[in-house]
Amino acid sequence: MSTVPAEDVRVDDARLADGWTTVVWNDPVNLMSYVTWVFRSYFGYSQDKAHRLMLQVHQEGRATVSRGNREQMEVDVQAMHGFGLWATVQPAEG
Amino acid sequence: MRTFVPEGAAYVAHLEAPERAVLLDVVDDVIGLVEDRAARRARGRGADDPLAAVQLTPGPLPEPTDPALLRLLPPASADAEVAAEFRRLTEGDLRRSKSDQLLRLRACVDAAGPDLVVVPSEAPRIAAALTDVRLVASERLGLRSDEEADALYRLVLGGQDTAAPDDETESEQAHRLLATVYVMLSLLQESLVDLMLAGLPGGADGDADDTPEPGAAPEPPAGPR
Repeated sequence: MSTVPAEDVRVDDARLADGWTTVVWNDPVNLMSYVTWVFRSYFGYSQDKAHRLMLQVHQEGRATVSRGNREQMEVDVQAMHGFGLWATVQPAEG
Repeated sequence: MRTFVPEGAAYVAHLEAPERAVLLDVVDDVIGLVEDRAARRARGRGADDPLAAVQLTPGPLPEPTDPALLRLLPPASADAEVAAEFRRLTEGDLRRSKSDQLLRLRACVDAAGPDLVVVPSEAPRIAAALTDVRLVASERLGLRSDEEADALYRLVLGGQDTAAPDDETESEQAHRLLATVYVMLSLLQESLVDLMLAGLPGGADGDADDTPEPGAAPEPPAGPR
């Protein structure tokens, strides 16, 4: 009987588990309309939801805009950086 | 300048010749900033230099020291190791896509005489390039808060600042010019994005599928601010 190094399995599990989020941060430059457009066009969110998330970024300084496994979140973060929004990948709370 | 309005199948703004010239200068600066190391190396060396063509397996990339470039290529995590790994894997692609967007914006501005024409399929890349130029300009202007950005709009649009004082230094003059460019870019982007929003399925009040509400966000990372 062989064993797989436990460390590797855990790393893999952690990357693929749905315990990660993409967080977008406020900045003084990005236009409210542009941020709303990014949330609608990239994530496919409704106008209401995109507007709500945009206001959360603007008023609270940040908003969680997507959830999933870490690799998916890294794709989202890279896309946000492509749009000129500052985003980070973070483990979900709780 | 006139901001974007729909004309036929395109979005069209007007730029006067001096506006076009100053925009090209600023866009060129940002293109120089984002061009990745490999592109710069390839251009700087002769075509006979074998190293110019070699795409090395990317090693660790340091965070940009220029705060304006850091705004374009920000850390992707509060965790330094995660951020470094992300940078190693994605920075080259991100620089190339930004450079491509900026070159498209440059071509549109360059062709403006005075019509600045953007076709709807190109509009997202143009809007993203406008964002990148505004991010760099804002960093050079030292804008750190929403309040400072609002004050800049009021100053430039209020017109109090348009006449150059007699004793203005070269750096004050450059700052005033950049502030004007920043506001001009903002007006262009706002009008373009309004048209892009109206062009989405369902228009500006559209209603795509909703998904469950995300929860609270975790702690902020150590960012560029």
